[in-house]
Amino acid sequence: MTVTTAPARPAILQKPVSFAPWISTAILLALWELAGRQLSGTFVLASPSEVLRYLAEEWRMMARALAVTLGNAALGFVFGNLAAIALATLASVWPRTERVVAGLALLVFCLPLVATGPILRVLFGPGDGPQIVLAALAVYYTTLIPLLVGLRAAPATWFDLVRSYGRGRVSALVHVRAMAALPYLFTGLQIAAPAAFLGAMVGEFTGAERGMGVLTVRAIRALDVEMTWALATVATGVAILAYAVIGALARRVLKAPPPVILAAPAPAGARSSALQTGAIVTVLALLAWWGAIRVFDLNPFFAKGPGDVFAALILADDAAETRATLAGALGETLVFLLPGYIAGLLAGAGLAMLLVLMPILAGTAMPLAIALRSVPIVTTAPLVVLLLGRGATGTIVLVAVMVFFPTFVACLHGLRQAPGQIMDVLDSYAAGPVTRLIRVRIPAMLPAFFAAARMAVPASVLAVTVVEWLATGAGVGSLMALSASLSDYDMLWSAVVLVSALSALGYAAVGAVERRILTLYAPEQVA
Amino acid sequence: MAPDPAMPAQIVCTGLGKTFGGGTEAVQALDLTLAAGQTTALVGPSGCGKSTLLRMIAGLEEPSFGTVTIGGAPPSETLRHAGLSVAFQDPSLLPWRSVRGNIELALRLARRPVDVAAVEALIALVGLDGFGDTKPAELSGGMRQRAAIARALATKPGLLLLDEPFGAVDELTRQQLAQDLPRIWEAQRTTTVLVTHSVSEAVLLSDRVIVLSPRPAQIVADIDIPLPRPRSPDMVRSDAGAGHIDAVFAALSESRAGSPPPMAAQ
Repeated sequence: MTVTTAPARPAILQKPVSFAPWISTAILLALWELAGRQLSGTFVLASPSEVLRYLAEEWRMMARALAVTLGNAALGFVFGNLAAIALATLASVWPRTERVVAGLALLVFCLPLVATGPILRVLFGPGDGPQIVLAALAVYYTTLIPLLVGLRAAPATWFDLVRSYGRGRVSALVHVRAMAALPYLFTGLQIAAPAAFLGAMVGEFTGAERGMGVLTVRAIRALDVEMTWALATVATGVAILAYAVIGALARRVLKAPPPVILAAPAPAGARSSALQTGAIVTVLALLAWWGAIRVFDLNPFFAKGPGDVFAALILADDAAETRATLAGALGETLVFLLPGYIAGLLAGAGLAMLLVLMPILAGTAMPLAIALRSVPIVTTAPLVVLLLGRGATGTIVLVAVMVFFPTFVACLHGLRQAPGQIMDVLDSYAAGPVTRLIRVRIPAMLPAFFAAARMAVPASVLAVTVVEWLATGAGVGSLMALSASLSDYDMLWSAVVLVSALSALGYAAVGAVERRILTLYAPEQVA
Repeated sequence: MAPDPAMPAQIVCTGLGKTFGGGTEAVQALDLTLAAGQTTALVGPSGCGKSTLLRMIAGLEEPSFGTVTIGGAPPSETLRHAGLSVAFQDPSLLPWRSVRGNIELALRLARRPVDVAAVEALIALVGLDGFGDTKPAELSGGMRQRAAIARALATKPGLLLLDEPFGAVDELTRQQLAQDLPRIWEAQRTTTVLVTHSVSEAVLLSDRVIVLSPRPAQIVADIDIPLPRPRSPDMVRSDAGAGHIDAVFAALSESRAGSPPPMAAQ
């Protein structure tokens, strides 16, 4: 549904030359209008004309809410990206810290935003603090990863050159790395801009006075279909606009499109050192958690430390009950999460392969998909729930859509990386397009596919918990919502810890599968 | 009192060896003294460890055994005073800086004042007049190599290390550069170490040619080239020059015959 509001200039890989996106946008708008008229009165779908009428009537309220959310998103964008730049700089000046920095960053990225929201709410009290922090949390990782890649994206001799004049890491950073990383920074910022908006909205879902997220919650509660669709349309439009603005800025500054970076490179190194890094990251995270509560002298009623969570899960009289509740909720969530995750991966990879067999379509689809990847799917969660109901289908579809776009873009990009010389060899044997796909393109696609599959783990957890929180009333997202409203902070913190740990483990598990398969098909990626 | 970084320095390698992590021996127990102000060419089969030797002299690679001294001090001391320059096989120009910008960066990294007139003179010396503001991407391969050589000369180093600086250019450009270089050489005499594959290039440019064995690199022959300067390619083709070329070729084939075939040596 988000396709309908896509502008016709999402291309970052190529300059727009065709009217195809305009035409497809017009067709989709027409279909949407038609469907809306057919379904009017069913409380499911508002047509574009109804959305426009709603916006014309309520534009003042909408503009006020948008201004609040945009302001918070902008502050979060600035803080989150500054943090990412600082962390990446630290890792490049002091390379030994890189794995730990990246590991800690991943763990924080795996925090379920919906549960972090209420905790931040009690910490900050009323105001914009939680929204800004959540926006910052939503962006720093998407900037950090390309930046870590970019700061290394220079030939070794450039660093030898700096050393040959007797200068060290700081000079290398200033004169070589900073400039070499600039395109990668823009790639990160481009994805971060819509993500900041998403973070601010999630912050508003979990308790704020004003903003787009507050209106969204109100619209869902009141079953106001027109308002829900209008809000989702505006949110999607803003996200695509933010993405396009950064892209345009990047083209001005770089005079070339930013590179496509899909995810962190496969975790290199021996298994033992990966485990070691994991242990260091865990210890540091626990220390930081414990230390923050001490330093800020937080109220022990809502600020639970590692010891409290350990007690709640292991030592307390009702620990078995708590564990059973959590396990039950996690089980419910997994029933939605896994099918959606797998369906999204398969659909993304499958459609990408299909498009490669039909190159004419691929030229139009790629820029569109890259832009749509930026759309915070979660802001359309209310629509999916309206359309498909509060049952399993809606949730699974949402997770699948969340996973689909990044996977699709990554796979299409990977499929195109097939080495030309090998393709020429196959051509010389008159191999058909299917043979070429199976023999060359799919192996060439695997690294990108796995990179996307890893990044999709936290993203799908975010999607499923948001839907559970907002709508379905099942699973760990709902459990966290319930615990927050009942002030059961032991349960809330335990859920946060478990969900983050499981996300990080899922990420690591995909990474392990990735290493095994890439060793067979693309050994140069693992070395 | 710090040594003058611009003074040509004597280089002494004693028992120099390098073993890489995987157990590959690149250089073995090498003793070599290079006189101040002389140009020495290191020739040998591909992968024989000559670049590793150059990098150890430059202080970019730590020796596993033995020592290198430049003017009696370890290379790290020379690096500290920016007393050497390296021209790499790849021109390694920063793509976002113009030719002038790349040369000025070398001066800034070396903490030398940027003398605008001197930079212009250098650009002219390597035949890049009018290309000072051009970005590397708009230059041909040979022009990039010249820019890299201009950058290496900019700091007026006492030691100039050239790691196959013509490795990546086509044969015609290579000949042109080899013709130009002696002229540039006369303008700035320093202790120079040149790693090359080309025997005629080595004879044309050097006072002395060291022939190295396949990996691990050891000295097979040490041939003086007493041709007068300024030199020209014609001189190398003359009887006297051809004699030196034959001598180097003979030493090269001998070194290969006496050791395992290159494939096994990799």
